Amino acid sequence: MRPYFEKMPGFGKPMKENRIARTQDSRAKLEAIEAEIAAAKKAVEEVGIPTAKINERGGLTVWQRLEYLVDPGTWQPLHSLYNPADNEEGTTNVVDGLGKIGGRWAVIIGFDNKVLAGAWIAGQPDNILRVTNLAKRLHIPLVWLVNCSGVKLPDQEKFYADRRGSGAPFFRHAELEQAGIPVLAGIYGTNPAGGGYQAISPTILIAHKDANIAVGGVGIVSGMAPQGGFDVAGLEQLINVTRDMKSKPPGSVSTHYDSTGFFTRVCDEETGVLDGIKEYMAMIPAYDPKFFRVAEPAEPQLPVGELYNLLPINQKSDYSFDDILARLVDGSEHMEFRPGYGPEVYTGLVKIDGMLIGAIGNRQGLLPKGYPEYADYPGIGGKLYRQGLIKMNEFVTLCARDRVPVIWFQDTTGIDVGDIAEKAELLGIGQSLVYSIQNADIPMMLVVLRKGSAAAHYIMGGPTANRQNAFTLGTAATEIYVMHGETAAVASYSRRAIKDKDSGKPLEPLAKTMNEMAQKYYDTSRPAYCARYGFVDEIVDLKALRGYLKAFAGAVYQNPKSICPRHQMLLPRVIKG
Amino acid sequence: MADVLAPLAGKILAVLVEPGAKVEEDDELIVIEALKMENTVYAPSAGTVKEIKVKIGDSVEDDTLLLVLE
Repeated sequence: MRPYFEKMPGFGKPMKENRIARTQDSRAKLEAIEAEIAAAKKAVEEVGIPTAKINERGGLTVWQRLEYLVDPGTWQPLHSLYNPADNEEGTTNVVDGLGKIGGRWAVIIGFDNKVLAGAWIAGQPDNILRVTNLAKRLHIPLVWLVNCSGVKLPDQEKFYADRRGSGAPFFRHAELEQAGIPVLAGIYGTNPAGGGYQAISPTILIAHKDANIAVGGVGIVSGMAPQGGFDVAGLEQLINVTRDMKSKPPGSVSTHYDSTGFFTRVCDEETGVLDGIKEYMAMIPAYDPKFFRVAEPAEPQLPVGELYNLLPINQKSDYSFDDILARLVDGSEHMEFRPGYGPEVYTGLVKIDGMLIGAIGNRQGLLPKGYPEYADYPGIGGKLYRQGLIKMNEFVTLCARDRVPVIWFQDTTGIDVGDIAEKAELLGIGQSLVYSIQNADIPMMLVVLRKGSAAAHYIMGGPTANRQNAFTLGTAATEIYVMHGETAAVASYSRRAIKDKDSGKPLEPLAKTMNEMAQKYYDTSRPAYCARYGFVDEIVDLKALRGYLKAFAGAVYQNPKSICPRHQMLLPRVIKG
Repeated sequence: MADVLAPLAGKILAVLVEPGAKVEEDDELIVIEALKMENTVYAPSAGTVKEIKVKIGDSVEDDTLLLVLE
């Protein structure tokens, strides 16, 4: 299949100087938003006890542990700004992302030991579930840096119980292990109760000499029997018991290495634990990337930096999606699937780091005259019509057959509406795409380049495709909502406007209400909001997007659950004709 | 000579060239606001802008002559 993949047709056009000049304002706005996001991420990194103080105590922070553990230049952080419960700490208190350890991709997560000694706090279980889902979808190891003081007791009602509460990750660890996906844990500090299960549920446990893990820590062991209240005598007794237990906390190394043998290994140095993880990573099955590469890796022919001039911050401006994609994929080469059919959507095979990937994206701007063919009105890019929906169904199905992972790029205002569109079966064909995606059982990722809107956000590989979507990225231009705020205000208040008008009421108050609604939609669809509440898994600089695409490609081909020999693939033959 | 026609009805939002300007194929000529989007009209071929028939703010119908290239 070398003739198919080694050198694919080039695509994408160079930018002209006048266009670059004309888009400098948009570029500056994108870069300003990226700077705001970067500052917010930095603030999250610095939350809690200062690094110097942790180091004075002889420990490393989670960030320093990651720095030591992860191969330089491979860390692709996720959920940096995720804080769905609006915790005062500004974080869910875990740090996670994709990174290589000794040349192999892993999903890596650690408790932030600068904040409440790595406590469970609200929103954290959902963060962990996203991470365990990611390891499952990519079929790569999950590596934990456990340093967890257990429940933040004053807030327990927010996350302890519930179907997706803090105990759910332990079941997910078991689920990963049953799927043959190892969970490695480096264990530091005091890990009582919930922290104990965080430490015991992984597959291999490598502990620091001062670590302990236990069903219950000093606090609850010494005060377990409620006495109906507190008095001074009771407190005196509590103080004596706690002092005694603090000198030898339950579940220390002497218990769980020497006695139970739960710990696989104990290390005197903090970095020794991380060296141990590296050793175990080297034992885990992983294909050499060459096994699956269809060509030598190559950088895009067209400059990645021009993405800032190509993607307009103005949501109404059109642009060439093909030109954007050409700046993200190897050699700016592709094999387009059914060009001309369903022109509002791009579908094609591309290479990322030499690996074969299916790409799907919304095209923008005017569509050819006469399209959509079922209507007497013109078609516009960003919207989905019958042919585009059928084409995506076909492409996803063929990618699944050939075991080719898919990267989606959304900038969509939705599916065509109205009775003509209903007669054209768009509701049914849209749901067919959901079925095709669910049936595919291949890893997918999504980049919401600009708009993620209406049902189109769901059916184009959105994060609601829980079992297929590994993760979703946003950009500085991303906005995600069910519809534009002004459209929503019209939908909500148009009848009231008629009533108010007919009854002689002044219209100013209603106009104010509608403006407030539109503003709320704007405020709750910004990139930082999308990241905070989990609409996306990370907001990424445009210049950093390719790094995530490479991480995705490398991870999905590291140890895939199933393989299609390239000479038995159908999709390239269908494209060639 | 090539007539550049409005591909759809809408309002002229921007005229990006002047008479006498030399353009290449696919250069941006005019932006029409329609269907809630700002839609760019591109040069169908290389040439020189001979005459511009619309101005910013004009409402145009489908197939209205926008400019002439020679």
